Amino acid sequence: MGDKNPDNDILELLKTDINKGFRLVVERYSSKLYWHIRRLVILHEDADDALQNTFVSAWRNIGNFRNESSMYTWLYAIATNESLAIINKRTKNAAVSLDDLESYFANSLEGSTWFDGDEAQVKLQNAILQLPEKQRIVFNLKYFDEMTYEDMSKVLNTSVGALKASYHHAVKKIEDFIING
Amino acid sequence: MMKEIKSISGKNPFKVPDNYFEEVNRKIISSTTGFVPEKKGSGLYRKLRPYLSAAASVAILAVLSYTTINFYTSGRNRSELPELTLSEFSENYLNEIDLLTLEEKAGSIDAEAARMNLTSNDIVDYFVLENIDINEIYTQL
Repeated sequence: MGDKNPDNDILELLKTDINKGFRLVVERYSSKLYWHIRRLVILHEDADDALQNTFVSAWRNIGNFRNESSMYTWLYAIATNESLAIINKRTKNAAVSLDDLESYFANSLEGSTWFDGDEAQVKLQNAILQLPEKQRIVFNLKYFDEMTYEDMSKVLNTSVGALKASYHHAVKKIEDFIING
Repeated sequence: MMKEIKSISGKNPFKVPDNYFEEVNRKIISSTTGFVPEKKGSGLYRKLRPYLSAAASVAILAVLSYTTINFYTSGRNRSELPELTLSEFSENYLNEIDLLTLEEKAGSIDAEAARMNLTSNDIVDYFVLENIDINEIYTQL
């Protein structure tokens, strides 16, 4: 995210007026986090739940945050965990095995009111869905959120080298899926 | 290698309901910091609510008091009691009882109105919008 912390204003406000500071956090990050979550959980309803859970969790731990260096990576980490929790809960309720997750999400995608993609878009989303869970997260964060590997390393608690390799393989698999179907 | 992906991924295929982010931000903030931001479009109603509440309180109190006295004195010798119309009752009795309350409320409302730059035209406009006949309130009193 660069040398200068873009959230310095939030950090200062949190020290003097925690309520006002947190409202600024919500305003600045709700949209970004929503789209990150949505790309993982696919359904709007699930993304809505995970987003709210993310901020409730952040609020409960805002006292601990003050010692952290980056609001951005901290929030993304919480959002990612909440997304995975929602995915686990929904697939458990639907009695879906890990092997069938890809089909489960593909069906959710095409049946959703809040998905308006053409055939190519559906194919791309299905291509991303066939990636292993963590690799899917890496791809989304790098490609759609344009997150640096250094920040991603903090979000996912994984080395930069491993993330670079994971992304490279993800891109190859997606391209292969799109071209060869 | 990214050519195929880039050729497809320009448009975001995921949609959200209208005003979703405004609504969810409000929900999140009220369930965390406890602050409930004012909804857009309700400003005039919110500003004029104290006036309507005060007017309604006075009207209800007058009607209830008059009705209660009538109820409890039904069957008794009414000649013992002074003959009063509703308006005379409110003028002679209700004003004394409620004047302090009204003055307190009017004071705070005036201060509030001054702060909100409300004019008497704003108040009248509100009553017209809400289909409230001011004369009807006075008639009840």
